[in-house]
Amino acid sequence: MGHEEELLESLKTAIVEIDADRAKDITQQIIAAGIDPRRAITFSIKEAAEIVGQRFDCGEMFLAELVMVGDLLDEVSGIVEKHLPADQVVKKRVIVIATVQGDVHSVGKNLVAVVLRSAGFEVHDMGVDVASATIIQKAKDVKADIIALSSLLTTTMPYQKEVIDDLASMGLRGQFKVILGGGPVTRDYAVKIGADGYGKDAFDAVDEAKKLLA
Amino acid sequence: MALPFWEILHRSKDGPIVEEKQYDLNLFKKAQQLTKKYGIKYDPAKPVDVDGDLADRVYQAGVELFLDLGTYCTTTKRVIKVSEAELKEEIQLLPEAIELGQGPDRVRMAHREVEGPQDAIVIAGIQTAPFSSEEMMFTISKGCAQDRCVDGIWGGILLKIDGKYDVVAGAPSEIFQYRKMVEILRRAVIAAGRPGMIIVNNAPTSIATIALFDEEVGMRRSDIMEVTGMSELKVTYDDLNRTAFALAYGVKMHGAHSATIGGFSGNPEGAAVTAVAGCMQLLAVQKAECFRCGATDSRVKSRVSRAQLWAAGTGIQGLSRNAKLIIDGSIGDHPAAGPGTKQYMYEAAAGFIVSTVMGSHSTGGTRKYVVGEVPNYGTPLESRWMGEVCKGAVGMSRAQAHVLVKYLLDKYENNLKDAPAGQTFEALYDQEKLDPTPEYQRLYDEVKAELRELGLQFRN
Repeated sequence: MGHEEELLESLKTAIVEIDADRAKDITQQIIAAGIDPRRAITFSIKEAAEIVGQRFDCGEMFLAELVMVGDLLDEVSGIVEKHLPADQVVKKRVIVIATVQGDVHSVGKNLVAVVLRSAGFEVHDMGVDVASATIIQKAKDVKADIIALSSLLTTTMPYQKEVIDDLASMGLRGQFKVILGGGPVTRDYAVKIGADGYGKDAFDAVDEAKKLLA
Repeated sequence: MALPFWEILHRSKDGPIVEEKQYDLNLFKKAQQLTKKYGIKYDPAKPVDVDGDLADRVYQAGVELFLDLGTYCTTTKRVIKVSEAELKEEIQLLPEAIELGQGPDRVRMAHREVEGPQDAIVIAGIQTAPFSSEEMMFTISKGCAQDRCVDGIWGGILLKIDGKYDVVAGAPSEIFQYRKMVEILRRAVIAAGRPGMIIVNNAPTSIATIALFDEEVGMRRSDIMEVTGMSELKVTYDDLNRTAFALAYGVKMHGAHSATIGGFSGNPEGAAVTAVAGCMQLLAVQKAECFRCGATDSRVKSRVSRAQLWAAGTGIQGLSRNAKLIIDGSIGDHPAAGPGTKQYMYEAAAGFIVSTVMGSHSTGGTRKYVVGEVPNYGTPLESRWMGEVCKGAVGMSRAQAHVLVKYLLDKYENNLKDAPAGQTFEALYDQEKLDPTPEYQRLYDEVKAELRELGLQFRN
């Protein structure tokens, strides 16, 4: 393995091990060695994110570690991108996520937000009990590609439909893909109310988001 | 009350300000640190912990976690801290038993020992699932209430009021819905010949919860109100509103909190520790009199995976051995499989056996984990199963429970992610006679005979 491969491999390992100081140090070494910074993104960061996702899925890593990895990925990406010409910085696809109005359940939504983030999306987590108008305004402000809506109660599911209906009445439906999730929500329901996608769990949501934006 | 509720409210306004994300990360780190400090190790080969020493360490770690972290109030972004002396006094001052219900339907819900002979109180009914009509809710609830192995009943959700008005959370329609629902429940328990039977309920908002109370036609002081703590170790002011009302009105509180395996609790060991800490929060901050010690799994839509059984069961055991609290387990309340399937019965049995043997009651009702919009997704026979298993497991040893639970896990654990959906009440019951179809009754009898053969001593 050459020096370049060694550094890229070390960066990947440092991210997976959530060793922030080492990851940032190796990133600087990659830059100083004149290695194409895009390789850090396309190899180290991408593969580290995939490994972390797999480990979470099989119970070897946990939500808190995903949050820490997400923070670290942002930091490392920030260092790398400073050394890329502006036209070579790949803009992340943007997702606004919220638990809809009247519903304060956060665990599942948090999980989806973290997994989406570690999969390379720019995620704006608006929290719980968020009104339709607030979600739509945020999606407009951050130029979101996807609006992800969580509901854990049968009686808050109508608020998912409200967001879709409001987007249509505002003439914005075509601007955003909408995906749904949450305990009582099913794919049939998502189809019925006119959503573009449905995630039965966090990883399904990632696959669905990637598919919708392909 | 050693630590007055006013003092809790004061601390929620004056406690240290912490960013929520930081609190979550602190929880993870502290929980993992404590599992190491106390040598807590989950062994998947032993889903039922028969070693009281391990449960004792889980209890000690859970108490330390709660004292170290405190409860996070998401409304004020502050941490409510409780001292060790205050917590000890709160535990000591709690009654070892409470009485619930009225007249001949009154029951005594006492602290249960591990493997103890004390009666396991069962509150069944189709919990927080949608019903297609008021008549259907009445019929099914009456069926659940008339079973003598059931001591209390939960309510569900009406999708429409008067058959035409949509019910939406957080809107005034929610108050009408929950009010209507509890009136139907009260009529149902009267029709079942058990007018004083315990009703328990919780609405998504405190205002709708308060609207449930009416001594004539709704919930009474003799019933029990659920207060919930958000996962993990959090409360909102809306949660604390319920406590304020319960204290002012004089109704007893059942507290519910779940640690999340894969969430900020981390591994099953962290979840067991956090489940105990959650009960300390329900006791000291939310002022409940009995406590759900629960664990969910972020990757499984059921409450009875191997790791969940271990985490919740060990937490309950630790609480039962070390504090004479009234604990609710209810581990089998939300199977992945639907009604009318053997898997539903296997999953429910595993959870309720662990709950009962470890020293808890089961008050969480019955319901398939995911019901979606499908109405009437449950029948009285699941309530009977809950009652029969819980009452039958009273006095069982942990070693025997371990054998039974391993047998049951073999039956269902590979099917949790692709569980059979089951059927609704309409398909499983003769609606006029309020009897299960012969096929469903046969399936029930087969599984019951199977577990009886393995040593579960059903009362009839």
